[in-house]
Amino acid sequence: MIEATDVNKFYGRFQAVRSLSFRISEGEVVGLLGPNGAGKTTTIRMVTGFLPASSGRIEVCGKDTIRHSLAARRNIGYLPESNPLYPEMRVMDYLTFRARLHGVRASKRQQAIGRSIERCWLADVAKKRIGHLSKGYRQRVGLAAALIHDPRVIVLDEPSSGLDPTQILETRNLIRELAKDRTVLVSSHVLPEVERTCDRVIIIVRGEVRADGHPARLLARLERDHPPVHVVELLVDNTAPDARAGERTAAGGWSGDVARIIAQLRSVPGVRLVVLDTMSPVRPSPDPAPPAPASLASMVSTSRRGAGSIYGAGGGSHWVRLTITPELGYTDLREPIARRLNMGTVLYRDLERRLPTLEHVFSSIIEADRLGPSTPAGSDPRQPRPEAA
Amino acid sequence: MTRLLALTSREFSSFFRTPLGWVVIATFFCLSSVFFVQTSLRPGEVATMRNFFSTWWGLLLFLAPAISMRLISEELRTNTIEPLLTAPVGESTVIASKYFAAVLFLVAMLLPTGVYVVVLDTLSRPDFGPILAGYLGLLLLGMLYLAVGTLASALTSSQTLAFLGTLFTLLLLDLVPHRFGPGLREPFDSLVTAVAPSIRMQDFARGLIDTSNVAFFLAASLWFLALAVLVLQSRRWR
Repeated sequence: MIEATDVNKFYGRFQAVRSLSFRISEGEVVGLLGPNGAGKTTTIRMVTGFLPASSGRIEVCGKDTIRHSLAARRNIGYLPESNPLYPEMRVMDYLTFRARLHGVRASKRQQAIGRSIERCWLADVAKKRIGHLSKGYRQRVGLAAALIHDPRVIVLDEPSSGLDPTQILETRNLIRELAKDRTVLVSSHVLPEVERTCDRVIIIVRGEVRADGHPARLLARLERDHPPVHVVELLVDNTAPDARAGERTAAGGWSGDVARIIAQLRSVPGVRLVVLDTMSPVRPSPDPAPPAPASLASMVSTSRRGAGSIYGAGGGSHWVRLTITPELGYTDLREPIARRLNMGTVLYRDLERRLPTLEHVFSSIIEADRLGPSTPAGSDPRQPRPEAA
Repeated sequence: MTRLLALTSREFSSFFRTPLGWVVIATFFCLSSVFFVQTSLRPGEVATMRNFFSTWWGLLLFLAPAISMRLISEELRTNTIEPLLTAPVGESTVIASKYFAAVLFLVAMLLPTGVYVVVLDTLSRPDFGPILAGYLGLLLLGMLYLAVGTLASALTSSQTLAFLGTLFTLLLLDLVPHRFGPGLREPFDSLVTAVAPSIRMQDFARGLIDTSNVAFFLAASLWFLALAVLVLQSRRWR
């Protein structure tokens, strides 16, 4: 359906895209991900035939986008990045214009326009001027125009930029629905959206493909390279005076109850690192990203200052959160951790395995890129700094 | 063909969706009426529109750039050129449709002046030959001006720049050969006056339709339009 072979694109001396190759087969929904300036829009413009590649070739439905440009364009429905429209036109007139432009026959035109209007929920604004519509409605008009000729390939450049969460959800559902019998290429930097709508993700950074695959498979790979951290919230008795003073003991950590628990957890096979995450009152809902581990002194001062408000299960005991980093190859340590805690009769209320999201894949690739090509696969931003251990 | 029609009708109607179109038509009609009353509608005056066509050329020098300035500049500025050129239409179709729409608008602008002919006909017995020739000349001149304007509009996303660029080109094209042409040496004077639209227009005002004049205006217009197509295509080489 879409096939790019060794595509390069130069703007003057700046190389926007480097030896890009990919193949998108019929019925696939592919997300094109990348930071700003990575070459997403350039790639999309080359796919739609708006810009030629400096070298290499792109085919859509077997037609070269430059040499057989018109034939290739007939199969493409395209929503450009900024969704340019004619503000002085009415929605209905604009869709009629687009239908004629795409050569939709007069006999089928009304039907095609009606279908597009229905699909993009435009019925109540069909007679309004585009310039008077809200951004969300304008985005739908752009989408409706891209679908008017029932194309086999749909290319959407940042379809949800500037939309509110409800509209993003609607757009996502629409893309899912369209994808049933079409090929869709959608560029985005809204990661959850791509994760939920796409069968496949192509990540490009600085004009190069850095990852290509099913989101779940990319995540599995990341999970293997960067085992998911486990977070456990448990009740400790922190009355030992040396702990309050924040002094390290010979045990290499906190004295009293915490130190004992940490030592126990460390001895679980597969555990690489146990970090005392926070001593402030632990909120029941976990944050998406754990807060950066505080320094020893600040942690202690927090515990003192907040002593009154801390869940005081008698005396000096309160809830703490521990972050456990497994060793390579250990992806799920929940059971051994739970067993160990139960053995020591430690009361815990949450044991969570923080699965990586596409965002982590993305940031680890970008981080790797920032550190230079010699660094293997990048460092995981979820991993706590070792000095806090 | 459907595409050309779709583009042309959209472009033509967009003249009337914005105030610009109405302002241009009103300005032209008001000014030409003033000239008509002052020059032709006088007792004892010959019932022709000759004086009057020559003042219209002057008006056209300013109005044609105003008509053509937004044709492509606007699409470049708002980036609507991108959905346009990723639809199955070629650059030449886009340029042709824009140009046709502008020429149609010029015709729409000239239509109300038919009132003057009716007025002349009721008061006197004018010779319709020179009047028709004059209108044809005006249309051909306008077509050339609009072709120059289309090229200027394809070159920049700024409408002001497109307007000024067209105006200066037209002034150069018109005034320079007119002023300096006859003063040049033997082979050059005829060469320079041959490309001066204003000199060719004098034939039309006299009621003379010379095929070489018609061919000149059409060929010159085509030449500027071809350049405009090349400009639009040039993003493919860059």
